[in-house]
Amino acid sequence: MSLYATSHAAADPIEPRPLIEGTQTDRSINDSLLDHVWRGAGRGWWLCFSIALAMFGLLIISLTYVVLTGIGVWGNNIPVGWAFDIINFVWWIGIGHAGTLISAILLLFQQKWRTSINRFAEAMTLFAVMCALIFPIFHTGRPWFALYWLLPYPSVQGIWPQFKSPLVWDVFAVTTYFTISLLFWYLGLIPDLAAMLDSSRSKLRRAVCGIFAMGWRGSGRHWDEYKWAYLLLAGLSTPLVLSVHSVVSFDFATSLLPGWHTTIFPPYFVAGAIFSGFGMVLTWMVPARQFLGLKHVITMRHIENMNKVMLATGLMVSFGYLMEHFIAWYSGNAFEFSVFYRVRQRGPFAPIYWLMISCNVLIPNILWWKKARTNLAITWFVALLVNVGMWCERFVIIVTSLHRDFLPGSWGGYAPTWVDICLFTGTIGFFSTAMLLFLKFVPAVAVTEVKELRHEMAHDSATAAAEGH
Amino acid sequence: MEGFIPRRFVVAEFKTTDALLEGTRKMRDKGHAQVDTHTPYPVHGLEEALGIRRVRIPTLVLLAALTGIVVAYSMMWFMNKVDFPINVGNRPAHAPPAFIPITFELMVLLGGTTAFFGLFALLKLPQPYHPVFEWDAFTRSSVDGFFLSVEVPAGEDPSDAANDARIVGAADVQVIVEPER
Repeated sequence: MSLYATSHAAADPIEPRPLIEGTQTDRSINDSLLDHVWRGAGRGWWLCFSIALAMFGLLIISLTYVVLTGIGVWGNNIPVGWAFDIINFVWWIGIGHAGTLISAILLLFQQKWRTSINRFAEAMTLFAVMCALIFPIFHTGRPWFALYWLLPYPSVQGIWPQFKSPLVWDVFAVTTYFTISLLFWYLGLIPDLAAMLDSSRSKLRRAVCGIFAMGWRGSGRHWDEYKWAYLLLAGLSTPLVLSVHSVVSFDFATSLLPGWHTTIFPPYFVAGAIFSGFGMVLTWMVPARQFLGLKHVITMRHIENMNKVMLATGLMVSFGYLMEHFIAWYSGNAFEFSVFYRVRQRGPFAPIYWLMISCNVLIPNILWWKKARTNLAITWFVALLVNVGMWCERFVIIVTSLHRDFLPGSWGGYAPTWVDICLFTGTIGFFSTAMLLFLKFVPAVAVTEVKELRHEMAHDSATAAAEGH
Repeated sequence: MEGFIPRRFVVAEFKTTDALLEGTRKMRDKGHAQVDTHTPYPVHGLEEALGIRRVRIPTLVLLAALTGIVVAYSMMWFMNKVDFPINVGNRPAHAPPAFIPITFELMVLLGGTTAFFGLFALLKLPQPYHPVFEWDAFTRSSVDGFFLSVEVPAGEDPSDAANDARIVGAADVQVIVEPER
């Protein structure tokens, strides 16, 4: 039996759902996957785009205000010295992780279903990392000096970064992550740009695609090196993606604060990152496949598989919560116990804690049922709630631990200011603007890889037929 | 322009990947050295049919990754141990475990950027013009066509290669002489 579902298998209840629906040729895949790039923007796109752009405007305004007045306009203050800035940074970085998981890890595991969704998820990674980077850069107050503090270059002060600090590790991890994700995304895009160049008739489009396609001519000698470069980038990205959120978690885990000082943080952060990333991918993909006419390549099987990953990583996150609570009790440490069993569950931010538990621990369990996994409305709502839940998780970790530390005398409160809220809304606006532009101008599905998959599937079923299976 | 010697190519289209594979093998058997193929996606078996033995990119990436490790570690050791030790809580200035993350990241950064830029250096891209683009039908090579190209050495008649291409099963054959620009 073929490992890959073939187009005729749709009617067979034992065979899995197909990865490419209908009878397709290279030409039909090419035309249907590039169609959304060629056709003009519809009214729906303009509506979404103007809302996104308005929110993006909010980001520009609030960032300008922050730079002109200083970061004192944020709500964080002693004892809550970290708040929205770091919450949003960790949240956005985490969202990016799904893209790399899909494009690199699933490639190494030879998961054929990654093919239709990797381009989309990788683009999401890039924009999410950009959103994340806004916060650490602007929290320096004078971002034009940021390079001066962050990177090791021979300055007149003669002093170097402290390489034993996880915050410096973060600088290297996140910039590497962004660079590699960008190169990986672009490398995959090159053959598609060549296909766009050759399928387009407008002079302007041909010029733009021609510049970016760099004269790719599908040479057999080139493909051979190309496949290796792609595989090596995947091989390098796989440990990279695990390292990025581990390093982010070290920012917390290496401190002594109750609720932060725990060895479970790196794997638990990585699982949470992938969980929230799949949440964001599904939030965008469920409507996008509908409006861009991609239902034949992003099938219910893809949606179901993504739901399964979301369920699995959600369970890992739940296990992380369980272990944190267990260790807080088992260690006999009064401060840890107090943070986990009093402050978080019954303190002033208890509603956010319980929202986190509902969204991350309880609700995803509906995905145990196939009916829920294959229902688009349920999928979309669960995905959206996962995004909410994971934001709450970062809030709970960061703010609740800080506002009740060892000495009752140094306890305090926290409330975000309007600037915090505008900045956060603004990054969502920037992300949405960038995603909408991406969906308008770049093929959202890796055309070349889908053609290759179709070719493989056709070849396999032909071989299977010849062997009489 | 003086001294312009046009490159000449014979480009042939095949209907299926299997026909292309067989055609490529046979063209090389017939003694054509400069054979290349142009397909919209990588076709399994082509590297063998083209007689490619070694892929160079993994070696480059390995060297770059090792360089990344050495550069990162020696940089941190020099800056934090030799040039300006920062004493925080009397922890050692040279702290191998704390140097691991950045060593790893720079390994990935150098390895990854080399995989990307090294690839283009090896493939001699960007190269917006290539004589094979002269044939209008060649636009299918990135969509759904399977092409073979032979660069005809100076002094040889391109019609020989064109005939050979027809014999090995090409559906359509075109001789391209690079125009002077």
